Amino acid sequence: MTFARAAFAASISVIALSAGAALAGPKVVSGPGFDPGCFKPWSDKIGYFQWEKRPGPHKVAVVNGFVGNTWRIQMIQTAKAFVEQPEIASQIEEFKAVSTGTDVAAQLGAIEDFINQGYDAIVTIAVSPEGFDRVIRLADRNDVVVVPFDNVLDTDKVMMVNEDQLEMGRMYGRWLTQQLGDKKEGKILEVRGLPGNSVDRDRHLGFREVFEPTGKWDIVEVVGNWDDGTAQKVTADAIAVHGKFDAVVVQGGSTGTVRALLDAGHPMVPIAGEAENGFRKLLAEHGKDGLKGTSIGQSPGMVAISIKAALAALDGNVMPQLISVPIPYANYDELVAGENYWPDLTDNFFTVNEFPPCNVNITATEIMAKTADNQ
Amino acid sequence: MSDLAIRLRRNGGFLAAIGLFAAFYLFYHANHPRGFSVPVLIQNVNEAFTLAMVAMAQTLPVLTGGLDLSVGAVMTLVNCLASEVLTGGPLELAFGILLCLLTGALCGFVNGCVVVFGRIQPIIATLATGAIYMGLALFIRPSPGGKVDGDLSWAATNDLYEIAATYGFAEGGDAAWFQPIAWIPTPLILLILVPLLFWLPFARSVTGRTVYAIGSGEGAAWMSGLAIGRARIAAFTLGGFFAGMGGLYLALQTSSGNADIPQAGAYTLNSIAAVVVGGVSLLGGVGTAVGALFGALVLRTISFNFRIFEIDPLLQPLIEGVVLLAAVSLGAVRVLRVKNTLELFR
Repeated sequence: MTFARAAFAASISVIALSAGAALAGPKVVSGPGFDPGCFKPWSDKIGYFQWEKRPGPHKVAVVNGFVGNTWRIQMIQTAKAFVEQPEIASQIEEFKAVSTGTDVAAQLGAIEDFINQGYDAIVTIAVSPEGFDRVIRLADRNDVVVVPFDNVLDTDKVMMVNEDQLEMGRMYGRWLTQQLGDKKEGKILEVRGLPGNSVDRDRHLGFREVFEPTGKWDIVEVVGNWDDGTAQKVTADAIAVHGKFDAVVVQGGSTGTVRALLDAGHPMVPIAGEAENGFRKLLAEHGKDGLKGTSIGQSPGMVAISIKAALAALDGNVMPQLISVPIPYANYDELVAGENYWPDLTDNFFTVNEFPPCNVNITATEIMAKTADNQ
Repeated sequence: MSDLAIRLRRNGGFLAAIGLFAAFYLFYHANHPRGFSVPVLIQNVNEAFTLAMVAMAQTLPVLTGGLDLSVGAVMTLVNCLASEVLTGGPLELAFGILLCLLTGALCGFVNGCVVVFGRIQPIIATLATGAIYMGLALFIRPSPGGKVDGDLSWAATNDLYEIAATYGFAEGGDAAWFQPIAWIPTPLILLILVPLLFWLPFARSVTGRTVYAIGSGEGAAWMSGLAIGRARIAAFTLGGFFAGMGGLYLALQTSSGNADIPQAGAYTLNSIAAVVVGGVSLLGGVGTAVGALFGALVLRTISFNFRIFEIDPLLQPLIEGVVLLAAVSLGAVRVLRVKNTLELFR
């Protein structure tokens, strides 16, 4: 090895010290937590954490896994726009974002590296719900706040941020039931997401839980992978086979699904979908023709709430272990151009980015101004 | 030409990989807030270990002139298996580790048999067997999780001090004689021992040299009376063993198993990149597993540097690709000095 041996020898004492020190990390305390309007606890049963207050400004890193779809790119751009807002910028000394791909070893390595670099908080979308025990242990030793969000971990030892996917599925179900009114039987098309993913499973279960008991429904399931192209194809196929549906629920790739309905000359039926800009554009355009839809979103803006939660934790506030972010939605008759959808932005843009209870207000133009070469 | 010059020329790609690694890695440490310290070294070896093993696994089939598309799947299968068997008392743990390594070797052996007896191109054969191994991995572990002995996992992924402290020898790691070596990361020792104990003896054996002979000219090797089939199977088996080692370590590192298909694919592709960066010829017959190991280290150190410098996350894959392309091109520099282009069609 090309290392200076002396340097290593010198640092042994540091290691011996840190190994001897008692395990640090957050204290488990009882609620209520700080600012419950924004950091809403997931349920009554979850615990609360409190880290020791430390003076700012802080070093914050975002460790993303997979990069390559619009949602992730928008998430990174949102993070960059958020830390530049004056109120947040004053609390942050250094900000870094990396994407490590689908390899869990690389993601664990990046988190551990940021711990070694002396970062105060690390926000991450985990590539696997398991396997983070080691970095959590190291983070606790070094008093680093690690905040997984979106794809969270199967543990109650870290503070995490997510939207309730089961509830999102239930919202689909409730809205369709309300729109279908007196109709109590018929065919429903359900366009599902990426197979094997917990988000897909939970939205599906939530929808079925609310919707199935309301009538005699024949629900046709197809797999759209949360992707416009795939969703459009499978919807077109389903229409070709089944003829007519009475309502549609689509987890993602909603723009593609609506396009397929329009292309096939399918009668306008109620549709519950995600929060893509293209979907909302179509709803706004065809709403007067009878296309009724609700648009409910998993927001890339969650990264901003996660950063805010990390900063609040570093300030010594009592934080819920699992934070439930309010689910943002808009119905077809509530769409306003330039406010909750943008006719001049791309179809792939995710529309929901503002969380008024958290004072997180990043506008679409702010996000889109963060081009790749803008640091 | 002197002996040294010939050796240097033959190992050009390998030396370039070491040089590149040393340059990137020193640069990383020099700019790291806690550069040249043990925790950073431990983290680095931990992150690189599995990829280094998978890259070594890829080297053996590549030396015979074929690609192995199943290395990521074998790694994943053993990772999932390890998350089931690495619990219990010391005996059970030892048995579990042995079982994992044997499973890896067995997968490699099956690959070799399919290639040799089925007379199928390695790239196609391993595409198929890889899918089977992935299916088995999903069968063992349909959802991520499992359990790995906490002490073992902590001890194996830290320095020697933690091993001593966990298992209570050398006065819990505080003995005076132990201090000079207490800082050494366990994975670093493994990273040196594995090639030393398994790769070098193999490369020096008749079977190992037969593997090189197959890659250089299969017809000539056959005419010379070498046991081609046996050497091929041995190469795939050792490859499977290395991939299994990687999967086992990933399980220790993550205390869990995950039959993650994109991850398996990423490891397979990265192993091929590492092999090429490490100076192993895709045509076969040239290069070493140690070279591929350094190729893997180069790959990892590129992304280490992304955490030190302000590089836009959306540009990182682009920069990684450009650096890799430059690294691979370095190995091809000799082409510029060739007097007769016919030499290129060796």
